[in-house]
Amino acid sequence: MFLNSVVLILQEILEASLLISVLLVFTRLRDIRPFWAAAAIVIGTIGAYFFAHYMASISEWFDYVGQEVMNAFIQLTILLILAIFVTKYLGNTIPSRGSQINMGFNVCTLLLVSLSLTREGSEIFIYIGGALGDPSHAQPTLTGSGIGAGIGISAGVLIYYGLLGLPTKWVATSGLLLLSLVGGNMASQATLLLTQADWLPYSRILWDTAIWLPENSILGHLLYAIIGYEATPSLFQVCSYATGILLILLCAKLSFGKQLLLNIEQTLTSTPQ
Amino acid sequence: MKSIVKQVAALILSIGFVFFGHYAVAGTPVIELTIQDHLFFPAIIEIPANTKVKLLVINLDPTAEEFESYELNREKVISGNRKGVIFIGPLAPGKYPFFGEFYPKTAQGTVVVTDQ
Repeated sequence: MFLNSVVLILQEILEASLLISVLLVFTRLRDIRPFWAAAAIVIGTIGAYFFAHYMASISEWFDYVGQEVMNAFIQLTILLILAIFVTKYLGNTIPSRGSQINMGFNVCTLLLVSLSLTREGSEIFIYIGGALGDPSHAQPTLTGSGIGAGIGISAGVLIYYGLLGLPTKWVATSGLLLLSLVGGNMASQATLLLTQADWLPYSRILWDTAIWLPENSILGHLLYAIIGYEATPSLFQVCSYATGILLILLCAKLSFGKQLLLNIEQTLTSTPQ
Repeated sequence: MKSIVKQVAALILSIGFVFFGHYAVAGTPVIELTIQDHLFFPAIIEIPANTKVKLLVINLDPTAEEFESYELNREKVISGNRKGVIFIGPLAPGKYPFFGEFYPKTAQGTVVVTDQ
């Protein structure tokens, strides 16, 4: 029960942790205060509580596949906001419109993290809620969950400082690549859920890497949480993953090209670390 | 000319029936899977190869459980005293283990896909 809680909570926390860290890095690069992060954690936690509370009823929508449809909807919304964020607010530094752009930046990051936490956190509420009802399970579950959450948050801190510690010219590019992976992951997971709900047709399994890297190994769990690793992805999943990544990179390319890197080099050299 | 049009129309209709009539008449087979005392009943589900199946998971426990299978690529929370639907397949013959992520020690089962 204990180890299971660690893995389960860690997995849920890691995905949101990665997103928050990368967005915090970009916030730092823009030199604005990360108020959105505190607000998003509060809103996301409240959202997760209500999502968990109504999960039983939501699951019964659309002939008992409401859970899949709702989660896929949240994931596709995250992808959409991510695309808008990268296109309009990530690299834009027109001084005359500075406050307006910063406002857009804050709204997007707030929405992204709140939505991500709502979805990931709801499962934590359901899991812990169930364990609390059973006295023999409550103690190990809570301890395990605490440790899982601790590792997940530590990983986020590590990603944050790891990114900022990179050579200046790599910071923005690496952050952008991680955001594109989040985009690909959202698209691929949404596709899988809609296939599970029979809203999308079946497509054949493209490859099987379970022998080399099983999904239930520690590395498999980590990679699943961070980049959405699947040992046996379907054709549609791989296509949607690639589309998600390309969409975010294309938005970046169309919006600022190499300009972002130049701006960030300026920011990093002008503000003390 | 008219008869050719009729023949073509008949052909399209019959092709359409061959492809889609099957779905309309046969539908997707439904298999019931019950969760009770953190166990799956039946623990072994047999389904035919290359057929999409609708799993109706009924949770009789007051606590939620998460149906999870790496081999089937499926994951779904089934709330306490509620039910949920999970579509699986079409699958190649073989064994596909599944478990309850919230109570993995006891809640275990296998989907066995047979050639028949």
